[in-house]
Amino acid sequence: MTTTAIPPEAKRAPAASPRSRTARRREGAAWVFLSPWVLGAIVLTLLPMAVSLYLSFTDYDLFSPPEWVGLRNYTQMFTEDPRYWRSVVTTLTYVVVAVPLQLALALVVALALKGMKRGKAFYRSAFYAPSLLGASMSVALVWRAVFNDGGTVDNLFGTGGWVNKPGWALLAVALLTAWQFGAPMVIFLAGLQQIPAELYEAAAVDGAGTWRQFLSVTVPMLSPVLFFNLVLQTIQAFQVFTPAFAISAGKGGPADSTLVYTMYLYDRGFVASHMGYASAMAWVLLAVIGVVTAVLFRTSRSWVFYASEGDR
Amino acid sequence: MPGHRTKGFCASAAALALCAVLAGCGGSEESADGGKVVLRYTWWGNPDRAERTEQAVALFEKQHPDIDVTTSFSGYDAYKQKLATQAAGGDAPDVMQLDYRQIDQYASGGVLLDLAQQKAVLRTSEIDQGLLATGRVDDVQYAVPQGRGTETVAYDVETWKKSGVPLPDGSWTWSQWADSMRALAEKTGKPGATDPGQSEDAFEVWLRGQGRSLYTEDGGLGFTADDLARWWTFTDELRREGAVSPAEQTTQLDGSVENTPLGRGQSVTDANWDAPASGFLALVPTGVALAPMPSGEDGTPGQYFKPSMFLGVSADTGHPEEAAQLVDFMINDRRAAKILGASRGIPVNETIRDAIGPQLKDFDKTIADFQSSLDGRLKDPPQAPPSGDNALQSTFQRDYDQVSYERMSPREAAENYVTEAKAELRS
Repeated sequence: MTTTAIPPEAKRAPAASPRSRTARRREGAAWVFLSPWVLGAIVLTLLPMAVSLYLSFTDYDLFSPPEWVGLRNYTQMFTEDPRYWRSVVTTLTYVVVAVPLQLALALVVALALKGMKRGKAFYRSAFYAPSLLGASMSVALVWRAVFNDGGTVDNLFGTGGWVNKPGWALLAVALLTAWQFGAPMVIFLAGLQQIPAELYEAAAVDGAGTWRQFLSVTVPMLSPVLFFNLVLQTIQAFQVFTPAFAISAGKGGPADSTLVYTMYLYDRGFVASHMGYASAMAWVLLAVIGVVTAVLFRTSRSWVFYASEGDR
Repeated sequence: MPGHRTKGFCASAAALALCAVLAGCGGSEESADGGKVVLRYTWWGNPDRAERTEQAVALFEKQHPDIDVTTSFSGYDAYKQKLATQAAGGDAPDVMQLDYRQIDQYASGGVLLDLAQQKAVLRTSEIDQGLLATGRVDDVQYAVPQGRGTETVAYDVETWKKSGVPLPDGSWTWSQWADSMRALAEKTGKPGATDPGQSEDAFEVWLRGQGRSLYTEDGGLGFTADDLARWWTFTDELRREGAVSPAEQTTQLDGSVENTPLGRGQSVTDANWDAPASGFLALVPTGVALAPMPSGEDGTPGQYFKPSMFLGVSADTGHPEEAAQLVDFMINDRRAAKILGASRGIPVNETIRDAIGPQLKDFDKTIADFQSSLDGRLKDPPQAPPSGDNALQSTFQRDYDQVSYERMSPREAAENYVTEAKAELRS
């Protein structure tokens, strides 16, 4: 409404004239409109983060005031806590299993949907549904029941309850994540529809079969989208909590097999009341995710192809 | 036009934004319910205890029309995590049920109100003085126990009788107990008991049967890795023989009777506290009876009467008097006592105990009879466990998981536990 009153020139060339009153006022208005989010970010995100950074250098049991201990939490974590390292290994295993599984499923379903003539919208919604439901505790609890002793999987295949077998429980968690492939699937689908049909026609003329077309046209053209999904899902997988919590009934068991990083963090903070230690763990996780993401970006130069940049 | 509008626009937008922030901080409890005082009261327990507690609370609300009590309960494991978080956030419920293990931590953390301030409405004169003292930390009465409890071997009477194995009588040693479990497993085809290796409580009973204790007087560890390795070797062998529950069953324990092997119909007995054992009746409708815990090989009893389920009042409560009234009601009111029965153990109020004792019926009577059969035979309870014990209880269970899933030897796991415990108790 207000924008219509301002001539387009004023918008285009603010640098040419000294900052006019209108421009300043407009900037003020922008801040006012932003304020709920800015305040929210400060009060609900930045401030707690600063406090958690401080707490990570303290011994804090939730009841008595935090006590400064310097780097002790960090040294204890790295040198004296075997369970910490077990949780790191469990998390890495989970990331390596769950992320490729989920992305592969998402890609396969997206490819199948792409070729569909009818009912595409229906199937797209149907496959997306688990992602909407999956974030909820209730589905994770159902998942636990399905994979428990006497659950559906046990009855159908006689496998026993996966959630009570240390070798299998983590797979049940990974499957729950993989099942929620809706978000990457939709992104893949959008990416697939961007690939120009001429490329496939040209490849077909050159005698490329379906598989060849997939490898030489689809994969390179889709690589930016693949990369985007990979980074996003990896970051999420490192922070997995809800499915592991629900499937192990809050304990990370059996025998610590589903004790992923954030579960151990929760255990230290809220079960054992070592908030300082838990805060230190959170900051290490943040740093590790940062490093992993940076590494992914670094390697992406060699395998992600941006059509707009031409042939580099 | 726009120039005129902006100022008013900015102001109202700013006001709006502020409102949003303030709204997030608002919502005080006083404003609800037209001037009524609202108390929050939380506890842990099984559905049976919940039902009786709700009835008692309803009676309290009837007697005090100006007080509204909001209740909530959950299983013990979930309860203790939630309560710790609430307490840390300065949002502890007005009246909260506490375990013996929590008293020290909550009292020294400043979460609990000194109950002496409310002695006008909270009477303690009729309470067994020895039990009352267990709610004191540094000579301040922070909480009042609601009952006393002791551990028991609860068993499925019908299955045991059918098996032909002699029923437990007044007392048994750990090796006699183990023989019975082996015999039960052989005759019934299912394990005799829940694997007691996961339970810090059972370990304590075993340890005390040998004249030792979990913690020393000054809050250090009262046993060595050798002791623990012996205990876990004992239980691990029983598990391998099938006399106690397999790892897949044991790992599902979460403090509720529903998830014990006995509750699932997967074993004949379960070692538990006597009050919550009432929950087994709903799961084993053919009947549950109580036997004492096994004693040391020379007959030294390991179990003890533990003050159970304390009530404390939050130091931050807006209504200390009303909160104290509720505590008083739960402990000293005869009609409440009749409703509650032995759902939290045998009442601590001696007048009430004598008065309602003969009237107790069903499982409450079973518990009362069980406790009187032990009266005078048990040793004094240990002092309140140190703060770190709260976390160690789950560490104990977790470390034993490594043994029962055969990922560690009893010795390795025991050494792990002792290392973790020492670190926990130091901090």
